[in-house]
Amino acid sequence: MFGEQQRFVLLLIAPAALLMLLFQVVPIVIGANASFRDWALYNPKKIWVGLAHYHSVITDPAFLYVVLPNTFLFMILSVLGALVTGLALALLLNRPFPGQKIVQTILLVPLMVAPVIAAIMIRWIFNDQFGIVNVVLEALGFDGQPWLVQRWSAFAIIVLTDIWLWTPWFTLLLLAGLQSLPKEPFEAAAIDGTSTWRVFRYLTLPMLRPVIVVCVVIRAIDAFRTFDIVWTLTGGGPGRSTELFSLYAYVLAFLNLDLGRGSAAAIIGGLIILVLGVVMYRLVDRIAKA
Amino acid sequence: MQGLARWALAAAALVAASGSVAAQEVKELRIGYQPNPIQELSIAMFEAWGAKNGVKIVKVPNSYGVYVEKMTASLTSNSDQYDVIWHNDDWGQTWAHLLEPMDDVEANKFASKWSMDKIVFGNDKGQNTVVPMGQTFSVFFYRSDLVKPEEVPKTLDELVTMSKKLQAEGKVKFGYVGGASMNNSWFTWFWSMWGNNCDVLMPFYERDNKKLAAAGWKSSMNEPCMQKTVEYWWDAINTHKIVPRGMPAYDRNEANAVFTAGDAAFTVADTLWWGNFNDPAKSKVAGKVAAARFPLGPDRQKPFGWDDIWGWAIPKSIPEERKKLAKQMLNAMMLDKEGQIKMFKATGAPPPNTSFWPEIAEQEPFMKLLKEAVLDSPDKVRGAYYFPQWPAVHKAFNDTVTKAVTGKREDIAKVLAEGAPLVSKAAQQ
Repeated sequence: MFGEQQRFVLLLIAPAALLMLLFQVVPIVIGANASFRDWALYNPKKIWVGLAHYHSVITDPAFLYVVLPNTFLFMILSVLGALVTGLALALLLNRPFPGQKIVQTILLVPLMVAPVIAAIMIRWIFNDQFGIVNVVLEALGFDGQPWLVQRWSAFAIIVLTDIWLWTPWFTLLLLAGLQSLPKEPFEAAAIDGTSTWRVFRYLTLPMLRPVIVVCVVIRAIDAFRTFDIVWTLTGGGPGRSTELFSLYAYVLAFLNLDLGRGSAAAIIGGLIILVLGVVMYRLVDRIAKA
Repeated sequence: MQGLARWALAAAALVAASGSVAAQEVKELRIGYQPNPIQELSIAMFEAWGAKNGVKIVKVPNSYGVYVEKMTASLTSNSDQYDVIWHNDDWGQTWAHLLEPMDDVEANKFASKWSMDKIVFGNDKGQNTVVPMGQTFSVFFYRSDLVKPEEVPKTLDELVTMSKKLQAEGKVKFGYVGGASMNNSWFTWFWSMWGNNCDVLMPFYERDNKKLAAAGWKSSMNEPCMQKTVEYWWDAINTHKIVPRGMPAYDRNEANAVFTAGDAAFTVADTLWWGNFNDPAKSKVAGKVAAARFPLGPDRQKPFGWDDIWGWAIPKSIPEERKKLAKQMLNAMMLDKEGQIKMFKATGAPPPNTSFWPEIAEQEPFMKLLKEAVLDSPDKVRGAYYFPQWPAVHKAFNDTVTKAVTGKREDIAKVLAEGAPLVSKAAQQ
């Protein structure tokens, strides 16, 4: 049925395929099954309830008017912020200077910090009594702020934390992209006396566009499912004002112990990511071909 | 022939030796718990018993943040990952059908009757499913170097007056601090609500699920007492400035940090933090902390105590011989006077055996106060509700009051009215 070469290829991919089947496909199938059933974690009756859980999620005003807008806003701000900062740092690191390797290594430190640890650290940094941010503000004559009890300051802290964590990832990939660009167009621009801004605007950015787009697509999909930093920093509060999609599903499944409804929320989120992914993939394709 | 006899002797010796190894097989009990002073000291009693009885005690710590979901999954999957697990009144009914009945643990007769009520830990056959670890409730802590016992606020209004006085004298930065975020509601919201003749659901202070269901799981968010409670904290934060502005987002650790830094004169915390508050290595106010009854709101005149336990439970799914061994260990822990006195002295949590209480109270003024104010009080409140949807109800409650207290004062009634159906709905799902 299969030639020797095909059998060899199948053998090579079998371990990865098996792992994927066991740890991704099977849990998704179990979750999908639970989403159609009365499946409380403490008492799984597993009675078929059809689309009741889906109906309850998509008609929940908190899901529609708080959670989804928050999630998309977070996704846009976080990806954009990390992209701009990462690109700026990549451009700086793309020029040789003394200690460049050390700076590059230091900039990668956030990548090595677990998001939960980073979030705990940031929570204390912005603590209204002991946090360094208020200490500095008060030393400068300003009032300290209760950062985590105001919706938009709490949301901004979440976004900034995420940007801090993900900037090195953008920096690393964009730097690799910059270093792989051909030198000739830049040399020609230098001979012509083109300004730095015009070189960036008309050479660097267009040539780097495929790398940027791939980074944005991957990161945007990942940002949609952010959980740990939000849960640790605000728990979705004050009230539910900073709640994102992953928290919504988590609270249903694991705080309310309603695995059925939590799974339905997760499947809905999965479908949203799927649609988003397809749209973005087409965008990448179009940009890459442009 | 002699060779054969030698072989037979050697074989017999081998069989005897292997039998002896089997008899001496190391017995083991695995404890699923949350790292916390009271739990560590309770496990120390298990270990003392284990050392005497040749049983190895294996401690398996679990994060508080994921404890219920993780343990619920473990219990419903019939795994035998743990032999004994930390149990709490909050999820007493959620797990009742998954736990081994404990009526045959003889020393349970020394446990507090109030705390062991079947409403909390009884299964559908009326069997008890817990052995207590210790009493875990909060009291009103105050700085004894700043406030004389007769000056301790007895009402919420007096709390404001005394706080402002201390702040004006430059003795403290704030009057009161307490946890207030989700799962820390007890340390600000609940005690002040109960002290104002109010509760999460109606009828107030009722914990019988049949009666709550008959009342339609009605939320009290729309009641005047709840509005007064939220307005009190709004004023405390914004008008009187006696509490930190960040308090609505505080968990118990952040609130304790403000108190132990000497920045607040009053706090409400579990008695088991008494040890930490008075530990010079962990607290700037060590030796300057005393406790009293909760201040009351305008709608209540009679003092009250809030009394609950933490306990230990055994999963139904583990083998019978391990259940038996675990019960022996729990029975021994209940009778371990030395260990329980040590636990009280280190933490301030009244131990599980009530027969030891009078003796401890004679030696320890703090225990005397707890006995008078809470343990022997006829007016007690239960700290949670006992139906599986309680976590969802609690979250809906906390989300609503947090939204109300962090918004505009004139919007409080509106926010509470919007939250009322969400609380009731959470109870009915």
